[in-house]
Amino acid sequence: MASVFSGAPPQSGPGYSFKQTPTEAPSGTRQHGFYPYTDNGGSTLGISGADFTILAGDTRHTSGYNINTRYAPKLFKIGGEGPDNKGASIVLSVVGFAADGEALKERLDTIVKMYKYQHGKPMSVAACAQRLSHILYGKRFFPYYVHAILGGLDEEGRGALYSYDPVGSYEREQCRAAGAAASLIMPFLDNQVNFKNQYVPDSGSGHELQEKPRTPLDQNHVLELVRDAFTSAVERHIEVGDGLQVMIIKKEGIMEAFHPLKQD
Amino acid sequence: MGSPFSINGGACVAMVGKDCVAIACDLRLGMQALTVSNNFPKIFNYGDVYLGLTGLATDVATVSDLFRYKVNMYRLREERNISPQTMANLVSSSLYERRFGPYFVSPVIAGINQTTGKPFICGFDSIGCIDFAKDFIVSGTASDQLFGTCEGLWEPDLGPEDLFETVSQALLNAVDRDALSGWGAHVYIIEKDKVTKRLLKGRQD
Repeated sequence: MASVFSGAPPQSGPGYSFKQTPTEAPSGTRQHGFYPYTDNGGSTLGISGADFTILAGDTRHTSGYNINTRYAPKLFKIGGEGPDNKGASIVLSVVGFAADGEALKERLDTIVKMYKYQHGKPMSVAACAQRLSHILYGKRFFPYYVHAILGGLDEEGRGALYSYDPVGSYEREQCRAAGAAASLIMPFLDNQVNFKNQYVPDSGSGHELQEKPRTPLDQNHVLELVRDAFTSAVERHIEVGDGLQVMIIKKEGIMEAFHPLKQD
Repeated sequence: MGSPFSINGGACVAMVGKDCVAIACDLRLGMQALTVSNNFPKIFNYGDVYLGLTGLATDVATVSDLFRYKVNMYRLREERNISPQTMANLVSSSLYERRFGPYFVSPVIAGINQTTGKPFICGFDSIGCIDFAKDFIVSGTASDQLFGTCEGLWEPDLGPEDLFETVSQALLNAVDRDALSGWGAHVYIIEKDKVTKRLLKGRQD
């Protein structure tokens, strides 16, 4: 009986250094778990214009309430030459589970580069967009846990933007916000990019009211909207912040910029 | 069944301007995805104070009636209108009384204090914790969307007309991205000695 009250571990079991660890052999059923997904937070946003497409994403990488790093890019150049994608004209943004995002980018980048090697011409955004859909649907029953947005210029040189759900359902759009703060940013974009709920003054009442016509937005104005959208999201969402990575795709090439965001 | 806060749906927002305040709500009443009514205002007037209530519709009705009773009793005893600040404390203590069996509502208060002439807004959680804000307060199932639109559109010292446009755009665009809110809106613009109530049509889907 004395051995029950002594602090020493039983002779038969292994000698653990932690008091809390069980010293007796496990009995009964035990459940094991493996969770292949985590949410790494963050937000992305894309807007297409007359002759350009802007993609942006914050660079905070989180797990729960922890910040793993303040600089983890969510925007990736696709195609072009070599490991730093020289001369690329397509950008992929991914938000959700960062490891899946990285894996997806790697796959798409390889495919686009192989396409150029085999066909002797760069892949069009429309083709790349459809290919990305197929990649995502290929993992229909163990999906890439990401919301992807693909940006570039179409064959007429106009801004092209495609957004995806995790299993490959996709659509070409004027603008799209994705990720943790998508619900905050999207209604703001509806209003400021597509002029939703805005009408021409004195154009009638009720159903005669004329909607404010959608005009192609100026590049600097769009950039301003993007930065406003993110500074707003940073104020109200804890998973968004630290830095803003922006890529502007034009026929001259891709311009990349980084803007600091609040770190709290 | 989901959270009691999101069975019926609804949204409310209050904003501060220059010598004025605005409070606005949507008009939808639903049962989960089914819309039952498109004429269910969520803003109630108590003299100089406007109270917005989102959440469980039965509690919205109960709580609004409860405060009508309490404010009437206050007016009889004090022979004056209740100020927004006093109303805030009344709402807070009344909700905390039900600490372990709360009303499932997220109240918002807006008004101008008639003695100081200063605009006042505040919000609460369902057990009465007050959120004093200098800029805007949002509540309801479209609160995420409202945070986004308000944070993006609001600026300090807006006059009554600009404040009306800002609060209306913030609300309409927010509820259009929420399936449980919308179907028109009520907007109140409160100035020192004038209150303007406007009805917005908005999308009917």
